[in-house]
Amino acid sequence: MRLVKCWFCSSTVYPGHGIQFVRNDAKIFRFCRSKCHKNFKMKRNPRKVKWTKAYRAAHGKDMTQDKTFEFEKKRNRPERYDRNVTENTLNAMKKIDKIRNQREAKYIIDRLMPNKKKVFKDAANELDTHIHLVRAPESLQQDAEKIKVDVSKNKSVQNEAMEE
Amino acid sequence: MIQPQTYLNVADNSGARKLMCIRIIGASNRRYAHIGDVIVAVIKEAIPNTPLERSEVIRAVIVRTCKELKRNNGTIIRYDDNAAVVIDQEGNPKGTRVFGAIPRELRQLNFTKIVSLAPEVL
Repeated sequence: MRLVKCWFCSSTVYPGHGIQFVRNDAKIFRFCRSKCHKNFKMKRNPRKVKWTKAYRAAHGKDMTQDKTFEFEKKRNRPERYDRNVTENTLNAMKKIDKIRNQREAKYIIDRLMPNKKKVFKDAANELDTHIHLVRAPESLQQDAEKIKVDVSKNKSVQNEAMEE
Repeated sequence: MIQPQTYLNVADNSGARKLMCIRIIGASNRRYAHIGDVIVAVIKEAIPNTPLERSEVIRAVIVRTCKELKRNNGTIIRYDDNAAVVIDQEGNPKGTRVFGAIPRELRQLNFTKIVSLAPEVL
């Protein structure tokens, strides 16, 4: 029994699931479910479809390089059966899985966290270059007073003259 | 699902290019043929200067279908086209080469010659 990866979404294809498509040049495309098969028939590129592993890897959304990925690999040379090796492997699988999940979660958290140094640097730079746009509070007050005085005096004088 | 009037590609070098199914061998009123079934076909297109000619009636065994093939272990296989190999009355292929992928099911049906000639057996 061999578990293979879906050609479209890279998820595991378990026995009895999905469909295989054999092109005329004998290349086999395995799909985990009809969703992936249909998307293939629509000639979609998995690197451009957001929910696939290929998209997430290509756009830096997921961890792609790690020692834990080295274990799960296609090996064409059959391993000679050894009871101890099998037992150790089964124990190690759980541990490796746990470590990989933790690392993947951390990768996403790191990716989403704002980079504090960069934010601080940007703010300092903005302050340096655009300081001339900021007006002192006193000058704002003076402007407000001037406008008030002008409007009220002019109007009153003109109106009195007209009435007389 | 091959039925009378279905056009098939030819997956060997017998000289025929296109076949049209006219009868399915097996039962008296059989509707569809699948991978491994023998059909009676007429040659619709042939390569010039070869033993087989256009409008000749021959027998052929289906080797690939667009309709999915289900195996006992649960896998489902679908091919790109409908294709057949031209055979004689004894079941031996008329050509000397077979092209494209061939399913393993043909071996059980005593088409071992075709399977051994195939470049890829799935």
